[in-house]
Amino acid sequence: MGRLRQKGKAGAAKAYVTRTAAIKKLQCSLADFRRLCILKGIFPREPRSRKKANKGSSAPTSFYYAKDIAYLAHEPVLRKLREHKAFAKKLSRALGRGEWSDAKSLEENKPVYKLDHIVKERYPTFIDAVRDIDDALCMIFLFASLPSNTRVPPTLVENCARLAAEWQLYVMHSRSLRKAFLSIKGVYYQAEVMDQPVTWLVPYQFTQNIPADVDVRVMLTFLELYQTLLGFVFFKLYTDAGLVYPPPLDAKKDEGAAGIGAFAIQDTTRPTTKPLPKTKVVEIEGRQVTGKDVHKTIKSLAASTTADSNADVDMAGPESTSANDEEDFVPQPSKSDPQSVASLPTLHSLQSLPPTLNTSLFAPYTFFLSRETSRPIFEFLVRSFGGRIGWPASSGSGSPFDENDDSITHVIIDRPVVDRPDETPEERERKSRRKYIQPQWIVDCINAGKILVEGPYAQGVSELPPHLSPFGEQEGAYDPTAQGGEDADMEDEEEEEEVEMDEDGDGDDGEQEEDEEDASANALKAIAEATDEASLRTAELAAEAAGLDSTAFEKEVGKARRKFKKAAKEKSTVKDKEKDMNKMMMSNKQRKLYEKMKYSQNKRSDEVRFLSIRVVHILILSEMQRANLQAKKRDIQKQKAKSKS
Amino acid sequence: MAADGRSSKKRKQSQTEDDTAGTFKNAVDMEMLSEEEDGANVESDDGEYEEFPGIDGDTDEDDKEVDEDEEESEDTDLEDHHVFPQAKTIVSDITGQQKRVFPEIEPDYDSDSSTEDGPNRVGNIPMHWYDDLPHVGYDMNGKKVLKPARGDELDKFLETVEDPAAWTSAFDKNTQSDKPLTNEELELIKRLYENEVPDAEYDPYEPTVEWFTGKGKEEVMPLSAAPEPKRRWIPSKWEKKKVMKIVRAIRQGRIVPHKPKTASTQPQFYAIWSDTPSEHAPPIPAPKPALPTNAESYNPPEEYLPTPEERKKWEETDPEDRDRDYLPHKYSSLRLVPGYDRFIKDRFNRQLDLYMAPRVQRVKLNIDPESLIPKLPSPSSLKPFPTYKSLRFSHSGLARCVSISPDGAWVVSGDEKGMVALWEVNVGREVKRWRFGGKIGALQWCPRTDTSYFVVGVEETIHCLVPPHLSPAVYQATQETLAPAHLPPSSESASPVKWTTPASNTWTDETPLLTIRLPPGSGLPNHIAWHRKGDYMASVSSGGNQGGVWIHQISKRHSQAPFKKVKGNVQLVQFHPLKPHFFVATQQYVRMYNLSEQKLIKTLMPGIKWISSMDIHPSGDHLIVGGYDRKLCWFDLELSDKPYKVLRYV
Repeated sequence: MGRLRQKGKAGAAKAYVTRTAAIKKLQCSLADFRRLCILKGIFPREPRSRKKANKGSSAPTSFYYAKDIAYLAHEPVLRKLREHKAFAKKLSRALGRGEWSDAKSLEENKPVYKLDHIVKERYPTFIDAVRDIDDALCMIFLFASLPSNTRVPPTLVENCARLAAEWQLYVMHSRSLRKAFLSIKGVYYQAEVMDQPVTWLVPYQFTQNIPADVDVRVMLTFLELYQTLLGFVFFKLYTDAGLVYPPPLDAKKDEGAAGIGAFAIQDTTRPTTKPLPKTKVVEIEGRQVTGKDVHKTIKSLAASTTADSNADVDMAGPESTSANDEEDFVPQPSKSDPQSVASLPTLHSLQSLPPTLNTSLFAPYTFFLSRETSRPIFEFLVRSFGGRIGWPASSGSGSPFDENDDSITHVIIDRPVVDRPDETPEERERKSRRKYIQPQWIVDCINAGKILVEGPYAQGVSELPPHLSPFGEQEGAYDPTAQGGEDADMEDEEEEEEVEMDEDGDGDDGEQEEDEEDASANALKAIAEATDEASLRTAELAAEAAGLDSTAFEKEVGKARRKFKKAAKEKSTVKDKEKDMNKMMMSNKQRKLYEKMKYSQNKRSDEVRFLSIRVVHILILSEMQRANLQAKKRDIQKQKAKSKS
Repeated sequence: MAADGRSSKKRKQSQTEDDTAGTFKNAVDMEMLSEEEDGANVESDDGEYEEFPGIDGDTDEDDKEVDEDEEESEDTDLEDHHVFPQAKTIVSDITGQQKRVFPEIEPDYDSDSSTEDGPNRVGNIPMHWYDDLPHVGYDMNGKKVLKPARGDELDKFLETVEDPAAWTSAFDKNTQSDKPLTNEELELIKRLYENEVPDAEYDPYEPTVEWFTGKGKEEVMPLSAAPEPKRRWIPSKWEKKKVMKIVRAIRQGRIVPHKPKTASTQPQFYAIWSDTPSEHAPPIPAPKPALPTNAESYNPPEEYLPTPEERKKWEETDPEDRDRDYLPHKYSSLRLVPGYDRFIKDRFNRQLDLYMAPRVQRVKLNIDPESLIPKLPSPSSLKPFPTYKSLRFSHSGLARCVSISPDGAWVVSGDEKGMVALWEVNVGREVKRWRFGGKIGALQWCPRTDTSYFVVGVEETIHCLVPPHLSPAVYQATQETLAPAHLPPSSESASPVKWTTPASNTWTDETPLLTIRLPPGSGLPNHIAWHRKGDYMASVSSGGNQGGVWIHQISKRHSQAPFKKVKGNVQLVQFHPLKPHFFVATQQYVRMYNLSEQKLIKTLMPGIKWISSMDIHPSGDHLIVGGYDRKLCWFDLELSDKPYKVLRYV
């Protein structure tokens, strides 16, 4: 017989502690405990059985690993927090007694904690840290845009703004931005740093107000950690790229709201500032050659080639990516840690890269921002892809060129077209030379990896092409591009349209009829081929949209329906019966799992079906509107003709 | 009033002490002695003084006499200093011992005579000790002090009426008589009544007198008369050296005075990841938030835009229950996009998730749900089996039971109206029908192939019927079995079951060859089961106290009830094909009995609410049990008493 085991001495009862017990053990306040949990990244766990973990009670409590709490007990930050508590008492005492000089010296010597060791502990390797900076960047960018108040001191906002600028500088310098997305929440960016995708969200430039139900203390604690983490990450990124960290700030430019331009990227090898890495090659080659230098050289060579061979953009793209990969491969020589081995570029990661990754997409172009567009967003986007950009003085100082510059190829403009009769011929000439595009063009070009045709994005176009997420949808979700072939090949269609524009009205009508013929034939075919309910319905709707002859259509539909129903019934009855019989053999557990999976599958497919039906509806509506317009036009023409005759 | 008496005694005593002290002062001029004396009297005294054993200024006798009673110590003291007249030593006429006799004290004008003349000298003892005695104590000379004569209650009352001082007098237990209170005592009582300080002389509010403090009363008491040393007014050389060191450091800028030590120091960044990482596995990174989808775009495809109903529904649901935290919205250009009002709230929620939400690692099953369904052979691959109806028999009443002959040529069926019909399978022709009085409960063909008959269960009776058109040999054998020429010897115990065979001359096709009459009250036999060999047959009736179970042996024409009492409602019974085992299915359980040893082997628990059918494999190892709740249990009898497999028809 084994030894008798006492209850509550082993297993879940030992492995978990409740939050109250943890606080009691650490002898700190709840606020301090929260702060510690945030800083150390300790979070509650869900025991398999709450009853076993909580001495038979099933009260709603949160559980922590007992070992996590035991480690916390030796935390230097906890000691500092205790010291701070004593300090707060001393200070309030001194203030209460009116001992101002004592209070001052106390305040000057107050205990502060450092988070360096926590950063090292939570992120043992640099890759770990880079993988986890998403949230940190989001917070930094948010706080950089907040107005300061008593709870959010101005120094904090300043520091956040500095960190945000440093990150953008690095991303621009290393050309690591991959995707961008203009959403209703803000702008999502995705960069690829050390082979890790880093996604962050930047709010649009509006004043944010902290809601009352948000605990600012929690956010500030997170921010403390994030500032330290980002400081170390940026230090490593900058020094690995051979740059000085922190980048020197030009106070004068900063005063003039130059934004990112106020910081100068400085090479560690050369004390003078150098904005572009183009001529770096020559300088480096003369120096002693270390392994790092070689890679740096390769990288800069690649960069320079891409910069030079602007004409052949697509050729330079893959080269630069391979150079990037190689560069990323080397700075992680870790023998002991398997983690870094996993982070090496595998075949999969190479394949997951977009095939036409082109980091100097905008290199041949020069952009000018119109007054109403957001400068931080587009300056960052354009410069990340090698373009030059200027802006009017109202958007801040530091523009490299002004509006009259002849090198400007594109103007990013977001306002309706206004006829200006008082234009000078010079202006008109300049206007005709430049392309006026809406801001979405920039982002769509970046996501597509190529320069799109400017036509649908021209100034004043009311119906822009839909802006789709470059991050894709979930597996099996509705794909809007797969629906109509016309959406997929935007360019071709546009070109076609341009051709059509040239044709006169009659030609247009003929085209229209032809279209209808085609559509009706297609619809009939679709009906005949329809195999399930949804596609049948879609086909019906499409046929309706095509304006098919009603009797023939009805007949066809009736036939198709009957056929479809019969086949479906036969198939379903036999199949379902067999399936039901097989289901009899399932265990309860398996059946529940099956039901769950089926439920989610059905939900997803329902959504897809719903959306695809709706797109057909919208199509029909627009078709009908177009048909109405056409008919009206025709009527007017006829009346005109009549009146003429 | 013992306390009264005692206090008066004390008063006297202190008086004498005072006197002695006064005399001492006069006589020896030494204070210590009087103190010593006070110390000796500490037990009897008011406790004003502590005992002072350290000071020993007196004789040895004095020390010895400390423990003696007060009067004696007083006396010795007095004797030592010859204050009072000498005591005479005489022989007591009571004890016969020597004793000292003091001369009578003449009361002076200032002596406290009011208590002096108390004759009773018993001291401070509980006076109720003398309650039953004629006396109240002893006087100084050891003579009994008799209780004064006291009249009855009326006398007492009259005395109080007559004596004007009666209300100012109190009963003295020591003398057993009333004593008038003195004026002082009355005064004291009055003051006590009025909650005043008992002592009339005492002034609680007298002005403070400053004896030792205040101007001109300081006392100068130097600790040492030594002159001040020189070092007191020469500055320290070493201190100067130390201070100069600091001053020099400050001048050179090595020490910055009042430099804040910790606050407002900027964090220093360095290559934190340059050294080798620790062996610990890094903590699992927090799950990343989902990436934005097309619906979140500022300019989504139109199909993503919510209809008014969807918008309303979204607005009505609680924020926690919404499947997405925003409503898709289309803006015609980027400049029209407003700030997102829930941005901070979203970030905050994400942070709450990071540090407050319990995290569980779940393995995500990435399998096709269809792969979970076990693959069974398709029924179509199991052909041939009957797929269409070839024949149709019809009964006028509700057909309740049907049985097929062992050779498969005949079918017999029974209905509620009491009709039993015999059909030929191949043709579907009704060959014969029998009519009985009540419902047909059960029908079962005998599994023997050398004979041919079937049993029919009607109300309280089981009939054995022989089908027509049998070959003579088979008919002969059947007759031999059911109605042998020599009946087997009936068992000695009178069985309630009667086996009857009609006389051979009355045999027709219509009448049964053998009838088994179950005991009255056993009701309709609704289940009949044969043993494989065809000699034993078991029937289950709806009524009866043995669970309605009977086992009949055809060859011996004997019936027995295997159970005295059965727990539960017996539904079905079944014989084991090879062993002498017997299965009894009640509503929820199947019990397996060994008939030869007459004991329960095991109870099978199918977990069915109501068992409807049961059958056993010819090998005798497998049992299947069906229920009305669309479940089928398959028992392997060599395994546990739980089903090996349960099939549910859903």
